[in-house]
Amino acid sequence: MNENRRQILEMLAAGKITADEAERLIAAIEPEPATVGEYVGTAGGGNGQKGAAVKTRAKYLRVLVEADEEMTGMKGPTTVNVRVPMQLLRAGVRLASLIPAQAHGQLDEALSRHGVPLTLSQIKPENLEELIDHLEDLTVDVEGKEGNTTKVRVFCE
Amino acid sequence: MTPNFAIIAIETPHWRTPQLWLPVFLLWIPVILLSPILFLVLVAVAIGLRTSIWRLIALVWGIVCGLPGTDVRVRSEGNRVVVRIL
Repeated sequence: MNENRRQILEMLAAGKITADEAERLIAAIEPEPATVGEYVGTAGGGNGQKGAAVKTRAKYLRVLVEADEEMTGMKGPTTVNVRVPMQLLRAGVRLASLIPAQAHGQLDEALSRHGVPLTLSQIKPENLEELIDHLEDLTVDVEGKEGNTTKVRVFCE
Repeated sequence: MTPNFAIIAIETPHWRTPQLWLPVFLLWIPVILLSPILFLVLVAVAIGLRTSIWRLIALVWGIVCGLPGTDVRVRSEGNRVVVRIL
């Protein structure tokens, strides 16, 4: 057993730290295992090292939108290409935890009125990381009814 | 890491700007000079939100540090806007 891990467990057994603190400490000293939210990126891609795939965390969320003039009513095609760092996304999601409890009811009501049946009070800070991790695994491809009028791609890279 | 530069480019059918490299790191000067006022504002916000001032500062810091890498490109009707944060 790792020495640091043993010390943490001894501190837990001695009642110096709580189980939650021990869990956080153990998580901090151990390298994070590969999770569902990780995608496979090829190390040294293109140099002939096939199979040398290394799991790396997605760093950015990309949103690509391509709409033609029929869809937007504007001249020529409209394209939107947004890259958002995952770190910023995490910080933004944490920001939601600052919303006062009194406002949750009103927000939930407003969200459900606009077709988003989400209960903010059910989103706990410990779920946020999981939410972001699942987002890393997300790929959405949308195409318009008439073939290629609008394309929306949401993916992580 | 906090953002150091912002690159902005705007293009219309009639005119275009060169890629503007804005030294965002220079904002540290007014931020430091105004830090007492900013701190009071954050305290007021923290009281309003019934949260800890340190938690709020950590959140704001997290957002500022998360900005580098942001890249927004929009093209419509012959106009093009690029905003990148490095």
